[in-house]
Amino acid sequence: MITVELVKLLRSRRTWVTILLVDALPTLIAVLLSVTDLGPRPGTGPAFLSAVLNDGTLFPLAAIAIVLPLFLPVAVAMTAGEAIAGEAQSGTLRYLLIRPVGRTRLLVAKLVSVMAFVLITVLVVAATAYVTGALLLGNAASTGGTVSVSGSSLSTSELAWRTALALLYAMLAMLGVAAVAIFASTAVRSPLAAALGTLALLVASTLLLPLDAAHVLRPYLLTRYWLSFVDLFRDPILWTNVVHGVIQQCAYVVFFLAAAWANFTTKDITD
Amino acid sequence: MTRSLRWMFVALALVLVVGVPVALRRIPAQAPDLSAATVLSRIRAAAGHPYSGTVELSGDVALPVTSHFTDVGALLGGRTTLRVWWRGPTEWRVAKLLVTGETDLFHDGATTTEWRYDTAKANQSIDPEVRLPRTADLLPPAFAARAVEGTSARDVRRLPARRIAGIGAVGLRIHESAPQASIDHVDLWADPRTGIVLRMEIYARHASTPSFSTAFTSYSPKRPSPAVIRFAAPQSVPVRFEQVLDIADAANQYAPVVPPQVVDGLKRSRSSTGAVGIYGTGLTRILAIPLRRRDAATLLDQVSSSSQMVGTDMGPSLMAGPLGVLVTDGDRSGWLLVGAVTRATLVAAAHDLVAGSRYR
Repeated sequence: MITVELVKLLRSRRTWVTILLVDALPTLIAVLLSVTDLGPRPGTGPAFLSAVLNDGTLFPLAAIAIVLPLFLPVAVAMTAGEAIAGEAQSGTLRYLLIRPVGRTRLLVAKLVSVMAFVLITVLVVAATAYVTGALLLGNAASTGGTVSVSGSSLSTSELAWRTALALLYAMLAMLGVAAVAIFASTAVRSPLAAALGTLALLVASTLLLPLDAAHVLRPYLLTRYWLSFVDLFRDPILWTNVVHGVIQQCAYVVFFLAAAWANFTTKDITD
Repeated sequence: MTRSLRWMFVALALVLVVGVPVALRRIPAQAPDLSAATVLSRIRAAAGHPYSGTVELSGDVALPVTSHFTDVGALLGGRTTLRVWWRGPTEWRVAKLLVTGETDLFHDGATTTEWRYDTAKANQSIDPEVRLPRTADLLPPAFAARAVEGTSARDVRRLPARRIAGIGAVGLRIHESAPQASIDHVDLWADPRTGIVLRMEIYARHASTPSFSTAFTSYSPKRPSPAVIRFAAPQSVPVRFEQVLDIADAANQYAPVVPPQVVDGLKRSRSSTGAVGIYGTGLTRILAIPLRRRDAATLLDQVSSSSQMVGTDMGPSLMAGPLGVLVTDGDRSGWLLVGAVTRATLVAAAHDLVAGSRYR
């Protein structure tokens, strides 16, 4: 079942078009920065973007910071929202379940497929950004090496493992979105409604985050710790928010997948 | 498994995820039963004790004065997260954490190096006699050291214990007794073992919520490693030496005036001997900066355009929480007066400054 879902994902033209669109924005920004040599003003713009003119090796991180707040969650919400509701809308869900396939097994297969999508998308964005950063943007070797957010020097190996951790962290953040979208996908018959429901939660979280009156809700908001991967590039690393972010995303994944399982396994399937 | 049993599992997961942390936070804090005088003496004895951790500043002191004071306004009127490593008064590092970067102060002896990630530059300066407040001044132990200055056992009373950064902290309320003060009281919570203040809240007169608070969100009383507080500039980072730190330092060094020794009954502090006057003790202080005509005009415009502005016979004035601001409206120059004092005190102090200053 898992293999079937993975093959379906990889053979789908929509998967690759979505990844291409997510990847297009950071690539366009790299080209524009390279042509104009104009970075964002100090203190503005996505994380690491002002640093990439001097150090292109940071562009994978800047690319993740560019797509993480909006583009990536939209892509993940649409793909995960399709999981069950897509089958229901196209009328194939009933036939799928007539075969000797357990509902829990189907849900797990869909989840693995969405996880694979998140993994591929983040890796493609990071790899493309690494290549464009190296080819078009600043060369750290000629300017004295990579500088951490705290002003210390980072060796190549330090930069590599911190970047790998940041990518894993971004993937986990997107798994939280996927879990919400999969639950929504079991609750409605339209994949669009499932995706929009998930995006509504993201928008609400983003709007509540800077509001002082909503301070008490901050630790529970889905997007609260998404950009905490920047803390991996401080010296010494500030683990607090990264650890809180991991725990929070795991809690979202556990709760919404449990809700999806409880809903889907007891649902009347008519489509 | 029935439908209801499945949903019970989900509800259980929700209770565990949300309920357990909330319940843990509700457990009452335990702290030793110490007298107010003992807590006050422990706080005083903690000066110089090392510590490290993360601090959150939160304030609604909205200063409309942006020219030359952008950093101070942002610190007092918003939410700021700091990281601190404090080995002693001459060896420390404070990092202001931004979503997309960081601004650090590395202090070694009398030299401070400021690193800004957004500009990728480092500026070094020798600590001047007078300067504007910076992040390190607003850490709970540093700020509390000022609050307890000149405080006697009669001005304090105990508050219930509170859990701050995982520590059962002893509480203390300091009543501001000076008639010039615009602050009603200051609430402190300190680590009972070390006396290090972990949280401080400042209440303006007639206010029920704090105008400004500074609190540890994580804390360790261990001495931090010296390696953490040393700034080793990478090859690509230019380090510039700054002769003048800010507008207060510039005025103190170069303005051709000598302010009077007393304004509205507040004595001039011995820490300033130049053109800038610092008056009062504890938190009831006035900072009086002489301004060139051009700077005075900019500040006059900004204060005058504020909705909180009140005109006085010495110039426009405003109160942002407990913080008062007045800019005198002179022909050739002016004075900027800032302090946690009443408007009447600011006006009286402005009169004394204009009448009592002499040229040097």
